Amino acid sequence: MSLTLFLQQLINGVSLGSLYALIAIGYTMVYGILRLINFAHGDLLMVAAYAGMYGVLLFSLPWFISFPLAVMATGALGILLDRAAYKPLRQAPRISLLISAIGASFLMENLALVLIGGVPKPFPRPDFFGYVIKAGDLHILVLTIYSPIITLLLVLGLLYIVFKTKAGKAMRAASLDFEATRLMGINLDRIIALTFLIGSSLAAASGIMWAMKYPQINPFMGVIPGFKAFIAAVIGGIGNIVGAVLGGFLLGLCEILIVALLPDLAEYRDAFAFLILIGVLLFRPTGIMGEPIIQ
Amino acid sequence: MSEKLKFWLNVASLVLLFGVLFLFSRYGSGYQIRILNNIAIFITLAVSYNLVNGVCGLLHLGPNGFIAIGAYTSALLSMTPAEKQLNFIIEHAIWPINVIQVPFVVSLIAAGVAAASVAFLISFPVLRVRGDYLAIVTLGFGEVIRVLCNAAQSVTNGPLGLKGLQAHTNLWWSWGVATLAVAAIQRLINSNYGLAMKAIREDETAARAMGVDPFQRLMLAFLISAFFSGIAGGLLAHLITTISPGLFTFLLTFNLLIMIVVGGLGSTTGSIIGAVLFAWGGEALRIVERPMEIGPFTIPGIPGMRMVIFSLILMLVILFVRKGIMGRSEFSWDALASKFAGWRRTQTPP
Amino acid sequence: MAVSDFSITIERGELMGLIGPNGAGKTTVFNMITGMLRPTAGDISWKGENITRLPTHLITARGIARTFQNIKLFADMSVLENVMVSCHYPLDSSFLAAMLGLAKHRREEKRIREHSLKYLVEAGLAPFAFEKAQNLPYGLQRKLEIARALATEPGMLLLDEPAAGMNPMEKMELAAFIRRIREKNGITVFLIEHDMKFVMNICERIKVINYGQSIAEGSPDEIRRDPEVISAYLGGASRAQG
Repeated sequence: MSLTLFLQQLINGVSLGSLYALIAIGYTMVYGILRLINFAHGDLLMVAAYAGMYGVLLFSLPWFISFPLAVMATGALGILLDRAAYKPLRQAPRISLLISAIGASFLMENLALVLIGGVPKPFPRPDFFGYVIKAGDLHILVLTIYSPIITLLLVLGLLYIVFKTKAGKAMRAASLDFEATRLMGINLDRIIALTFLIGSSLAAASGIMWAMKYPQINPFMGVIPGFKAFIAAVIGGIGNIVGAVLGGFLLGLCEILIVALLPDLAEYRDAFAFLILIGVLLFRPTGIMGEPIIQ
Repeated sequence: MSEKLKFWLNVASLVLLFGVLFLFSRYGSGYQIRILNNIAIFITLAVSYNLVNGVCGLLHLGPNGFIAIGAYTSALLSMTPAEKQLNFIIEHAIWPINVIQVPFVVSLIAAGVAAASVAFLISFPVLRVRGDYLAIVTLGFGEVIRVLCNAAQSVTNGPLGLKGLQAHTNLWWSWGVATLAVAAIQRLINSNYGLAMKAIREDETAARAMGVDPFQRLMLAFLISAFFSGIAGGLLAHLITTISPGLFTFLLTFNLLIMIVVGGLGSTTGSIIGAVLFAWGGEALRIVERPMEIGPFTIPGIPGMRMVIFSLILMLVILFVRKGIMGRSEFSWDALASKFAGWRRTQTPP
Repeated sequence: MAVSDFSITIERGELMGLIGPNGAGKTTVFNMITGMLRPTAGDISWKGENITRLPTHLITARGIARTFQNIKLFADMSVLENVMVSCHYPLDSSFLAAMLGLAKHRREEKRIREHSLKYLVEAGLAPFAFEKAQNLPYGLQRKLEIARALATEPGMLLLDEPAAGMNPMEKMELAAFIRRIREKNGITVFLIEHDMKFVMNICERIKVINYGQSIAEGSPDEIRRDPEVISAYLGGASRAQG
């Protein structure tokens, strides 16, 4: 393979990885505190994408207003999701929580299907993200370069919150020992809400970028990226934020490079991801970063 | 109530059931018969799924894979070589698939055995973990199986699927299998094997300390569940006469989950009730019927709305009526009799 | 490290106690013996066999049974069913026999039931046979834990704080119960307890552990007077009584 092509695929891999990373963070933060796999997390991408689209198309808002609004709205939806589907089951056996999560996911997908229709809709990608940089044989969508940068900025912001603020300290405490944190008088409900807000907002940001990258959106668009991001979170060590980011980039790179190097096996790319997941769960369930605590 | 009376009550119920089925088979409409077949197949699926999820307490999210294995095994074995040649147009079927043909009943048993064999193989990785991890691993395996069905062109005919299967499945097959499955599985649950499984569900550490080997017992449940799911898959294939990988997605697992949760996780009776309610709810139509084509127009139906309702029901049950309709209790003649006695007591004048 | 530099030998038929301050590592010792925790160094042997790396259920099959500090009954199952689980192995009839409802299987089920009932009678729990375990009062739940462990027909019984939460009369009954078990079945008993009076009363030999290390071993009288034990419990004050 030529150097140019390899470079192109490398950049693509990093870019895809950055999108996975943002989604993975949400999974990992919620799991760290609640020990819950939020099946409905991936669907938040879809909500953000549609919200961003309707903001521009229906309300004629400029993208730099519509997209952040969509992110905030989706963040709020994340809090609502917890309140409605997970909070009532805090004391219930885990299997109930998982079932509720699956139900919430299907509900969101099919509600979108009913309300919006299953026909894929084109996402209005702004030119700011849309033009193509040409450097010799290299053709790169400028979005591909912006994504990792935006991701990195968001992650840095998140790390600041988690490590340098009181709220962040409370979140880390909650992930280490749920009950003790409650006994210390910390308002767990607010911490959990904050966790969902942050995780959902990051997923929303990823959703918007995803929609700009693959500009046909449909109600089930969040399923596969969501699952892959979950795999990334597990690879990195579920509960560990840095792990989620690392896992995301790793998975994105692997996916692109495997497809580039072995084009015959492209059909099996989803199966590969599942097999990686099963492998990690069986042989190194604590992932790359080890401990199941938010670090 | 004496054991003998209960035995004869059971016999009488079975006679009644098959009597009703006989009437339907003679005088019922095609639509009604199809619904009844669906109910029976769903009962088999739900009761075997409940064995793993309800009785053993594992969140197994991959039954769609075993149903797919059963469906394809049964279909490929029962089709004539000529039918297969007609289907495998992109790539020819490999040997021995392209020449083999067996009677329907043999294909069903093979379907069960095939599914159970795969269950055996994956039980080694799967049963090393519990809880969320087990859920995700089984989900992954279910998906891998489906992807393989989609990609293995020369074995399964890939995305095109298999068409033109003989409609072998009739009320006697579907309800016969359902009756056997319910009886066998319920006997297992009532036995000391079932007790061990429930103990594992209640407290696995304590169960180990009392000498129970969780791996052996859980694998048993896993295999038996896969066996009956495979057979049900075969019945399904020969009912709708067309199968493709798209039939066996996570949606199928979700539907089974609804059945057993609404019915009562852990209760065989509950699973039966859940299956009946679900089939009645019209989901059967989705799986059974293709989009309706009238002239050049395709009516896609309102698939989303049905799923919205089902999702809502699932969530409402899990949030508010978590135990489902039956909780963990089973139907019993004794319970019925004492309820009747209680009612009679309220009827006697003071 | 929870436990280090700990070794113990228990003779057949002994009534051995393990005491020590909170967090000393007592339950860890039990967990290692029963295969729930793997020691990083050292060996455990039972009746001449090295059982260090065996899984828990095989250790139970070899004859070591236990109860738990926090009651771990099968809550949703009946009292009788809790005991029946212990009779699970060895089973003569296969699962096929169970599923087909063969007579051989039904006979075995009957045998298991009757066998389990005997243990309930012995523990005074027979009237509650069909109650859900979680509905039993606390003291009876503790007894059920013991009955359940006994039903595995062990050579040695590990009791983890069996008297916790009991009133003095219940403790006396429990002490008598334990002695009876030992007399009747020749079972070796190894128990962890906080209640000093209870331990001194019932145990023939006592081992004391602190910070994961054994600090004393001997008869109740010897232990009562051992200066290391006294300082471990009370940091230098005089009494070591419950």
